[in-house]
Amino acid sequence: MSGSFDFQYPWMLLLLPLALLPFFPVRRDVLAFAWLNLLPEDRLGRAMGFLWRLIGAAAIAAIVLALAGPGHPETQQLRVGRGAEILVLMDRSRSMDERMMPSDWRTLDPTVRLYHLSRGPQKARVARDVLAKFVAQRPNDRFSLMFFSTRPLNVVPFTQHDATIQAAITAGEVGRGIGDTDVGRAMLAAIDSFAPRTYSGSRIILLVSDGGTHLDDRTRERIREGLRRQRIALYWIYLRSYNAPSLDSDDPKLEAIGEVALHRFFKTLDTPYRNYQADSPEDIAQAVADVGRQQNLPLDYYERIPREDYSKHFLLAAALACVVLLGFRLMLLRSWE
Amino acid sequence: MSTLHEFHYRLPHRVGGWRPGSHPGSSLGGGQEFVTHQRLYDRPDPRRLDIRASLRDLRGEWLVRVNRQRASIPVHVVADVSASMSFGVHRPKLHVVADFVDALGTSAYRAGDSLGMYAFDRRERLDLFVPALVSRGVASIMSAALRTCTGGAGGIEGLQAVSQHLAGRQGLIFLASDFHWPLERLGAVLDLLTHAFVVPMVVWSSAETRPPEEDSLALLQDAETGAQRTVWLRPKLRAEWRQAIERRREQLEHIFTARGLRPFYLGDEFNSEALSKYFLEVAA
Repeated sequence: MSGSFDFQYPWMLLLLPLALLPFFPVRRDVLAFAWLNLLPEDRLGRAMGFLWRLIGAAAIAAIVLALAGPGHPETQQLRVGRGAEILVLMDRSRSMDERMMPSDWRTLDPTVRLYHLSRGPQKARVARDVLAKFVAQRPNDRFSLMFFSTRPLNVVPFTQHDATIQAAITAGEVGRGIGDTDVGRAMLAAIDSFAPRTYSGSRIILLVSDGGTHLDDRTRERIREGLRRQRIALYWIYLRSYNAPSLDSDDPKLEAIGEVALHRFFKTLDTPYRNYQADSPEDIAQAVADVGRQQNLPLDYYERIPREDYSKHFLLAAALACVVLLGFRLMLLRSWE
Repeated sequence: MSTLHEFHYRLPHRVGGWRPGSHPGSSLGGGQEFVTHQRLYDRPDPRRLDIRASLRDLRGEWLVRVNRQRASIPVHVVADVSASMSFGVHRPKLHVVADFVDALGTSAYRAGDSLGMYAFDRRERLDLFVPALVSRGVASIMSAALRTCTGGAGGIEGLQAVSQHLAGRQGLIFLASDFHWPLERLGAVLDLLTHAFVVPMVVWSSAETRPPEEDSLALLQDAETGAQRTVWLRPKLRAEWRQAIERRREQLEHIFTARGLRPFYLGDEFNSEALSKYFLEVAA
């Protein structure tokens, strides 16, 4: 960190000469004495008197400096990270509040699978847990978090501060999901959030969703073009609901199902696309770990370091000085009686 | 002013002067004190013919009794009104001096002596000058002036100027001051006043002589110069303070006793009995 230093309100420093006030011989708390030459020489007392004035001056000066708002100015710093810029685009729709199949569903008798559905964890919750772990494991990546349902909701812009992202992920618990799932608008918003950033490393959109929609041709074209221009890889963690179709079937009739249509569109993209179907919590974890393995490229970026305000240190110093002055005052001889 | 505050003063030696009064005088005249007989031709005062002595006289001369007349003296108050005299614990030291002047007024009037005042700080204060008068009210004028006056910085120069007026004159001089100035030239001033009986009244407030008992920081301002000093009151400093006062007292008494004077110490209150006792001891 450089040693630069500036004031927010430099004109306040004009008040700094007020700190000389304690050295003026006009005081109300002095006691008159007939003839000071009569008294014995007291060097310790003189030193205390000087210290008293000095501390008074220091208190005033510290208050003035605090008013002037000293601080370390806002700077930008170049950081080099290994990893990717990952935008997590998370479905916040009502269907995400449903439960997943328990982890041992494959061994269960198909006739009672529906019954076991209530044992499974909520999809959104599992996704959040796994994402939280994922973020914690990858300190070098820059994350951004965006929720979407009927419309995209940008929660955290790109940052490397894990605590912020973790808090944002936790915040997803609040309330319940909303009705619709508009993947098209969410994708466009996600692509747009990359647009003002200089390309400094691999870029990923991590779509965590359990459903899809049919996109019109115009939207498809914009998504395809956007991904290509911004050079973004797309990873889709598909949280498969009970009774939902597998995405990889070749049956042309399944084109009517939104998820399958979306998957088929994504497969036609020029940019890398990968799909993970997750039926159970283990599958999600597996998918996320897979993403982590794949993107580990060096990344240069500027970080904005906000202005650091030092005025509270000065106020603390002033308060301490005032406490010392109070101590002096309590020691003061008030009258001759 | 209460009549209780009154003291009796007398001088250790005879005084000159023709004005009748209450002090033993050196002049001859109508008094009770027999001195000698003189011939009627030498002293033609037939009222005082002493028949017995004339009959006893071998030469057969007519003899006249000669008596000494009691005389009055001028009494002067020389008051230091410098700013340091405005200092005091409950009230200014000048008020204590004013109390003393009130008592002196009664005493001097009863004794038939005239009373006047000179005041000084760094120079002579002519506005506070009162000529010696035999008047019952003169003391209250003087004390009122002392109570209301404001003084500047003090110094021996004012006392020197005042002593020029009183030099070589007989009488009684009360020199009321706190003597808070360098003492080198005080002896020379007192030498000018040898014809009079000088009572040095050292006016020291108890705040000066006794340091405050509590341990504390005292932020002090000199009453005259305005200089400030911080003093940390602690046992060591208190001892030094008392020593300094004692040393000052010794210096003053050394100067006074070398000239046959005894100082009278005036504290926070004027004690008339103590002053009467002082005169009894001094003039014994």
